[in-house]
Amino acid sequence: MRKWFGRWRRGGEASCAEVAQVLQSYLDGRVDDLTARRVRRHLEHCRRCGLEAETYEAIKAALARRSHQVDTDALQRLRAFAQRLGEQGPAGTSTPMS
Amino acid sequence: MPAGTEEQRRKAFATYVMPEIEVLLRVARTLVPRPADAEDLVQDTLVRAFRAIDSFDGRHPRAWLLTIMRNAQINRTRRRRPELLDDPDGTLERMRDAEHDHGSPEAVVVGRLFEGIVMDALDVLPGRFRRVVELVDIDGLSYAEAAEVVGVPVGTVMSRLHRARARIRDRLTAAGLAPRGGPG
Repeated sequence: MRKWFGRWRRGGEASCAEVAQVLQSYLDGRVDDLTARRVRRHLEHCRRCGLEAETYEAIKAALARRSHQVDTDALQRLRAFAQRLGEQGPAGTSTPMS
Repeated sequence: MPAGTEEQRRKAFATYVMPEIEVLLRVARTLVPRPADAEDLVQDTLVRAFRAIDSFDGRHPRAWLLTIMRNAQINRTRRRRPELLDDPDGTLERMRDAEHDHGSPEAVVVGRLFEGIVMDALDVLPGRFRRVVELVDIDGLSYAEAAEVVGVPVGTVMSRLHRARARIRDRLTAAGLAPRGGPG
């Protein structure tokens, strides 16, 4: 790992396997600028890795679309509950706690 | 924060807790399947936060509240038994062609199929993997915030998240909606 990282930092040509190591972190914006540049450059040339990146992007997009719609009624009830709690303490809230 | 007056406690609660209620509700909906239980969990969290507000130092209120929520949730029994499913075979080119023609009936069908398989794959993931995907990719928490909820190091969240997505990707491959084999 250390050896691989050293080559990466020195600017050696990244292989597909090396990109695979950091691809998800890259897509999550969790790699440093240098690594991001090298990955981006590799993805421009390599169709196989490019497709892999597209697949993960599509998975993330599909999951993000599943985001729960906040139940506005529940949110309103909870805000009212918190308001009473803040003003009167737990004794001021009638809902039994588990 | 030193033990304060009622007024200080009320102010701290309003400052640190009230703005986070929506996030707490979103995360609670991930932690417990029934909406009513999620609301109960948030109420429980709010009461615990109120009681602990004197000892809160004011830093990272969301992380603090998520930790409280995790502790509140630990005693709640909740178990899902996922069912396995099989995916049909297919081709990558179909997906690629459909991508270039978003409006076509085939693109709509493939898009729905893709999304359906992602959700099915998510449902059959082991709980510890599914949880981090829900918290990060669906609820939009950072790795660090998800780590607070789950009670594991950030590195563990990252590892579980990446493995979980890889499993989802494998399902898509089995269905012909993702390229076979990773890079390399």
